[in-house]
Amino acid sequence: MRARDNILGKIRAALGRSRPLTDTEAAPVRMALRQNRRGPLPTMTWELVPRFRERCLSLSSTVDEVASLELLPAAVKRYLASNNLPQGCVCWPQFAGLDWAGAGLAVQARPATGEDPVGVTGAYCAIAETGTLMLLSGAGTPLKNSLLPETHVAVVQASRIVRCIEDGWDLLRREHGTLPRQVAFISGPSRTADIEMTLVIGIHGPYRVHIILVGA
Amino acid sequence: MRVGLFVTCLVDLMRPRIGVSSVKLLESAGCEVVVPASQTCCGQPGYNSGERAAAQALARKVLQEFAECDYVVTPSGSCGGMIKVHYPELLSEFPDLEAEVRRLTARTWELADFLVSVLRLQRVPGRFHGTVTYHDSCSGLRELGVKWQPRQLLSKVPGLTVKEMAAPEQCCGFGGTFAVKFGAISSRIADQKCTDISDTGVDAVVLGDLGCMLNIEGRLRRRGDPKTKVLHFAEVLAGARDESA
Amino acid sequence: MQVSSHQFKRKAAEALTNPQLHKAMSNLRMRMVAGRAESVLELDNFEDIREAAKQRRDFALANLDYLLEEFERNATARGAEVHWAETGEEVNRLVLDIARRNQVSKIIKSKSMLGEETGLNQFLEAAGIEVRETDLGEYIIQEAHETPSHIIAPAVHRTSEEIAQLFYEKHGLPRKTDIGEMTREARTILRPYFLSADMGISGANFLVAQTGTSMIVTNEGNGRMTTTLPRVHVAIAGIEKVLPTLEDVSFILRLLTRSATGQSISNYLTFTTGPKQLGDQDGPEQFHIIIVDAGRTRVLGSDLRAALRCIRCGACMNHCPVYQNIGGHPYGWVYPGPIGAVLTPAYVGLENALDLPNAATLCNQCGVVCPVKIPLPDLMRKLREKQVERGLRPWRERAGLKLWAWAATHPAVYVWITRIAARLGRWAGGPAGLIRNLPGGSNWTDERDLPSPEGKIFRDLYAVRGKRRA
Repeated sequence: MRARDNILGKIRAALGRSRPLTDTEAAPVRMALRQNRRGPLPTMTWELVPRFRERCLSLSSTVDEVASLELLPAAVKRYLASNNLPQGCVCWPQFAGLDWAGAGLAVQARPATGEDPVGVTGAYCAIAETGTLMLLSGAGTPLKNSLLPETHVAVVQASRIVRCIEDGWDLLRREHGTLPRQVAFISGPSRTADIEMTLVIGIHGPYRVHIILVGA
Repeated sequence: MRVGLFVTCLVDLMRPRIGVSSVKLLESAGCEVVVPASQTCCGQPGYNSGERAAAQALARKVLQEFAECDYVVTPSGSCGGMIKVHYPELLSEFPDLEAEVRRLTARTWELADFLVSVLRLQRVPGRFHGTVTYHDSCSGLRELGVKWQPRQLLSKVPGLTVKEMAAPEQCCGFGGTFAVKFGAISSRIADQKCTDISDTGVDAVVLGDLGCMLNIEGRLRRRGDPKTKVLHFAEVLAGARDESA
Repeated sequence: MQVSSHQFKRKAAEALTNPQLHKAMSNLRMRMVAGRAESVLELDNFEDIREAAKQRRDFALANLDYLLEEFERNATARGAEVHWAETGEEVNRLVLDIARRNQVSKIIKSKSMLGEETGLNQFLEAAGIEVRETDLGEYIIQEAHETPSHIIAPAVHRTSEEIAQLFYEKHGLPRKTDIGEMTREARTILRPYFLSADMGISGANFLVAQTGTSMIVTNEGNGRMTTTLPRVHVAIAGIEKVLPTLEDVSFILRLLTRSATGQSISNYLTFTTGPKQLGDQDGPEQFHIIIVDAGRTRVLGSDLRAALRCIRCGACMNHCPVYQNIGGHPYGWVYPGPIGAVLTPAYVGLENALDLPNAATLCNQCGVVCPVKIPLPDLMRKLREKQVERGLRPWRERAGLKLWAWAATHPAVYVWITRIAARLGRWAGGPAGLIRNLPGGSNWTDERDLPSPEGKIFRDLYAVRGKRRA
């Protein structure tokens, strides 16, 4: 407690006070904490789905579309086969009931380990402005499936594409009220330019992000 | 209008012809030019070295010397910036001077900006047959917004073509006392600027600050280029260096 | 980190003669400057966002105690353990204590400049704990036993051949020549560390007071793994990192990613609130947050306060002509370039970093690109003033400036001196008008000629002109 008191005391002294803010003085910051006021937003006049698609491609993700969820297993199989990728998938429980076997894929509904080559996840929502997936930690949504495998297949409901991250927070507040342990915003496959400023796609996180839009 | 010329210590000592050109340009546009005789330095060397008291003494002197002019015009973005942008902070310890300082800064102009924005100069006496590139000095650019004004003026010089270098806004490395305190780094930065200039293949580099001028010319010559001219825009506009092929 | 800023001049001189570094820095300048400029064009209201970011950061600093208490309250309510550390040593001890209490023998780290400040890795390693840096650039310099030379790209000073050689020596695998192959090799080598670590240590780009959240901005995935896989996660953050709301972080991120790497958005934005919740399928059992002073309160109460707005983007150094030519190591501590020229003396002591605020042309390329409008040249000038006040400048320098000021306030003497100097200088320049050698002026004439004066001073020319016209 000593360090805490000392630091807070020094902060107050640095700000010209010997005490915490009074109720009146704290009104602006209290209001700020309640209001969730957004900073200035750039002009965003594009359509959500085309913008999302275009941004994903610019981030080196790939994008496919299916009319409904029933067609998902076939789309995943098509993607993996045409890219000569290993086909062992782990998925989120929400996809367990789909006909994976019928599409010729062995899929287990469980969190990924370091050995699983493909992770299939959903997304809480997606951000059109930047081509970003918003994933929440939780009981049916192990984030490891979007992190450990070399290939991440993300299933995005077109109706869950929002304009910007601020809209994502609003949605989360409305639907959940509080934050989960972790909110992961994912914008494409992992990358680095630490060696001679040369961009390399694929380092610790997935090498590939394949997005399947449902119901666009 | 009474225009007080702040000629600057470097122009006075090193390149008085730039001062003469400045006077010529201002008079040809109909100004009554006065040159307060006791002027010396704006105080920037002291200010940038942390010698606040010394800089304040010089600033107060300038305040006094130019009190009676309608405008204060200087052929230097660096001195212009010092007076216009930094004097208020420098003299903030003297609240009784605040009104005077505000009056001074409101009347102070860098030369190119003054010629274009106040005098709206349409024709210039000079001629120049050849290509030039323009170096944007840091203070002029970032403190006073001097960028398009010299280029607009140069476009009025018959025979002259402007060709932009890569990164014209990149610092030349002078930085006042930096040039001698950290000479090796300063020279290296200057060298990059000289390469950018040489890559354009122009006859001359034109600029608006003496520090940059000496630094760039000094490095150009040392690296074996005796030909590329280094000129202040005032000389080019006033015809002090009438050049034909 | 040990301070070696007093060696600035020597290291800068070495850097200027290093052709590999020159190549690396040219590359950095080319990509970072153009990258930022292009990405900034995507925002039609960039300057509005920038002004709002500056104001928001100032607002947070002005309410810092309130916001930190709010953050602590909300983080604790979500099961995080919040600690406070006044000094770098305290940070290290707290981390070691957490590690020992939890029988931690293996740590993975995602990049933390604050961790560099406190020398955290060395401290933990000396206590017998294995610490593995996982950001590729940090991993490279850890293996090379070096310090970072840039806050975003720590190994930018190294060529790919040097890194290939390093990997060959350390990994015992066939030498790679292709950068993609080297990167894949790093992934393969580091993967087991991610999967077996007991504890992950991260920095924090921002702390969100409203929700008790700590967030990081990364591209590689190591940050996500560090904050999710091990059973204990420790985040260390300076007091100045706190912002009121998620919205504040979100709009400032638009500036951060563009200013840092020219990206519209960084690959991974990771917002962490508390440890693993009931039902969660991943996450640590314990989440510790250490809030750190280490000199920041002193800066908060000084006229350098604006430097605390810094969001660690690195744009200032990318655009600095001095940094572009000498790289990061001469600055001698954690933060190089313009922000380093201000923070280093502020945190390690004015007298230990005398050259840093002086090794600048005050061109303000940094201030113009700073996303939170830190007036860096003004702060450097303030540090120069402080040096003079504390008698830290060489007497010759002070004497010279005082002499100049005295002469300049005595016009009669000044005119006499300049008349002589102009004539002497003209003579010294010879027919070519160039002075090749200046006694006592080798700092100029080592690599530049000095154009000689015309020979007459303006004052005299103008007087003659006046007489002629009258």
